[in-house]
Amino acid sequence: MNDDGPDLDGLTRRLAETPPEFLDEPVVAGGGRVAVAAVVNDLLRLHGARAQLEALAPFAGTDPRADRNRLALVLVIAWLLADENFLVLAPGQAALLDALAGVAQELAPAAPAHRYVEDTERREELARTLLARLGLRPYGETPAQAADRLAAVSGEQRRRLLAASRAAERRAREIREALARKAAEESADKWTRE
Amino acid sequence: MNAHATHAAAPDDALDAERFPTLTGHGRRMLDFLRNHPHAPVYRNRSGNRLLAHEVEAQRAYEDQILAAPVGWTPGTVPDWVAPFVAHVFATVPHYRALGSPPRRLTDVAPVGRADFAADVAQFVPDDVPLERMMHFRTTGTTGHPLLIPSHPVVAARYAAYHKRALARAGIAPAAGRGRVGVVLLGCQRRCFTYVSVSPAMGEAGLAKINLHPDDWRDPGDRARYLDALAPEIVAGDPISFAEYLTLPLTTAPRALLSVSMQLLPGLRARLEARFGCPVLDIYSLNEVGPVGVFDPAAGGHVLLQPRLYVEILDAAGRPCTPGQAGEIAVTGGFNFCLPLLRYRTGDFGALASGPDGPVLTGLSGRRPVRYRARGAWINNIDVTHALLPFPLSHFNVHQRADASVVLRLAAGALPWAGDAGTALARVFGTRVDVETLEADGKTLQYTSDMEGAHDG
Repeated sequence: MNDDGPDLDGLTRRLAETPPEFLDEPVVAGGGRVAVAAVVNDLLRLHGARAQLEALAPFAGTDPRADRNRLALVLVIAWLLADENFLVLAPGQAALLDALAGVAQELAPAAPAHRYVEDTERREELARTLLARLGLRPYGETPAQAADRLAAVSGEQRRRLLAASRAAERRAREIREALARKAAEESADKWTRE
Repeated sequence: MNAHATHAAAPDDALDAERFPTLTGHGRRMLDFLRNHPHAPVYRNRSGNRLLAHEVEAQRAYEDQILAAPVGWTPGTVPDWVAPFVAHVFATVPHYRALGSPPRRLTDVAPVGRADFAADVAQFVPDDVPLERMMHFRTTGTTGHPLLIPSHPVVAARYAAYHKRALARAGIAPAAGRGRVGVVLLGCQRRCFTYVSVSPAMGEAGLAKINLHPDDWRDPGDRARYLDALAPEIVAGDPISFAEYLTLPLTTAPRALLSVSMQLLPGLRARLEARFGCPVLDIYSLNEVGPVGVFDPAAGGHVLLQPRLYVEILDAAGRPCTPGQAGEIAVTGGFNFCLPLLRYRTGDFGALASGPDGPVLTGLSGRRPVRYRARGAWINNIDVTHALLPFPLSHFNVHQRADASVVLRLAAGALPWAGDAGTALARVFGTRVDVETLEADGKTLQYTSDMEGAHDG
C-alpha cells in the first residue's frame, strides 16, 4: 500500500455506474451470456498486456455454486480496472490477473455481486480491497490510514461472514430436526394424497 | 363406542387440541361419528387440520382468490410475478443465495431436481419460514428414494382451493358443511395411513382417509355400509382404489371423484362415470408441487390449476423446448411457502399448449417416455396406451425384454381382460404378448423396457 492510487470516491462512483452488460449472466456450465475469460482478455489488451490461454483458465466456470458469483464479481472488477486511472498506472499482466482472481475469490462468499455495485459500504470494501491487492492506497490517504480503514472494512466482512455461516448451519440443523419430528408424520389433511 | 372402531394405539386425546385447534362441539360429534360408527374401519393413525382460527379465515379468502384468479400467461411467456419471486428466493433461500445475484432471466436459473432436494432439502427452505409448525410429507416416488417435503398445515389446507377450482370446471361447487362428510380419501394398500378429521373452513365437514383393503375392516361388507353412511360429497383416490371402489355394492354416489397419483385410463374413467353418474376428475398432482392440472378432454390435456405456478418444458440439457414440443415438465412458483420452486424438474414428461382457459399440459406421462420395438420400427408408448384404452385397467405394466419379447402385467382384478388386452397389444407389436399378474402395491411404472435404445427416442 505504498504507492498512491486513484481517488476512492472516483472508484466507488464508477462502481455505482457499472453498465448492465457487466452485470449480465456469466457463462457457467453451458448457461449464461458473458464469457468472463474473454472480458478479462479484453481488459488485458486495454492495458497493453497479453495472456496465454491457460492464464485465463480461472475465469471459466463449471459449477454454478462455486463459480457463478465469483465470475459475476470478476466482471465488476474488470469494469473498475478499465478506469483511466488504472490504465495510467499500468499494473501489468500478472498484477491484473492476480487482482481479478484474488479479490473476486475473497469477496464472492460475502455478498452477491450486485451488492458491490448497489451498496455504499460494499462499494468501498471492493475499491479498498482491490487497491490493496495492487499495492496501492487511495489518493490522499497515508499508508497507515489506508491500512486501518481496510482492516476495518475487511474485519467487518469477516465477522459478517462468520456470523452468517454459523446462522446458516444452525438454521439447516433446525430444519432437519423440525422435519424429523415424530409429530410431523401425523401430517395435516390434504384433500388428496399423491 | 365400539372398541374395534377406535384408534389401535392408546388414545391421545390430549393431542387433539393441537390437531384441531378450533374444534367445536359440532366438529367433535363429526369426529366421533366417523371414528365410532359401527361399520367403521380400523383407523390406524391420527391427524388433524392443525389450523389456527385466523388461518381458517385466511383459508376461506384464499379459496375465493384461487377460484377467481386466471393463470394469466401463455406458453413460453414468463409472467410478471416471476422476476420478483426469483429475486426473493435468491435473497432468502440458502441454495440460491450461494449462487449470488438473482439472474435477470428465469432461463439463467439452473434447474434443480429431486436429487437436489434429496441431498439436503434444508438448503431449499427460506430463512423466513418459522419452523415450530413445520411438518413433512414423505414421498418415495417411482425411483424409490425417500424424500421429505417440508410443509405446513396452511399448505395442506390450500390443496382444497385447487381441487375446488378443478371441480368448478365441472360445474361443481362443494357445499358440504356442518354435519356432512365432505371428502373421503380412498387407499387400497396392505399398509395405509388412515385417519379422520374435519375441515374448519367448511363448517367442520367430515374428512376421512380410509383403506379399502379388506384387512382394515372387520367385515369386507362394512366398506359399502360405512361409505353409504358417510355419503361423502367428494371421493378422492387413485386408479387402484377406484377399481376396488367400483366393486362395492354402494347405494349412494358422490358428486365427483378426484383421481390423483397415476394415469387414469379412459376405460376406468368411463366405468366410474357410468357407475356413479358424476364427473371423474383426473388431477396431475405431486408432493413437491401440489395439484398442477386437471384433465379436460375438450382441452386435450391437463388444464393448469395454480395461478402462481409457471410451467416450462425442458429438454435433456435443461433448455426450454419450443411450444408444443414434448420434454420434462419444470415448475416455478407454487403455494408451498416452505419450499418455493425455481425451475424444479418434476421427472414427468409432456408438452405445453395454449387453451381457451390458459395453458394445457398435453401427452402427460409419469416418466421419461419409453419407445418400443414393433414390426422392425420404434413405436411410442402412446401407441400402447391407445391399444389399451378400451379396457378398464387400474394399473398395468407393459415391458419389453432385451430380446424384444413383450409382457403385459395386470393387477389380479384386471385379469378377466387379460386375453383381449393381450390380443390388442399383440396387434400393435406384431408378436405374441405374455400376460402375467402384476405384483405391486402402490405406484407402478406403466412402461418399461430392457431393449437397447428404448430411452433414446
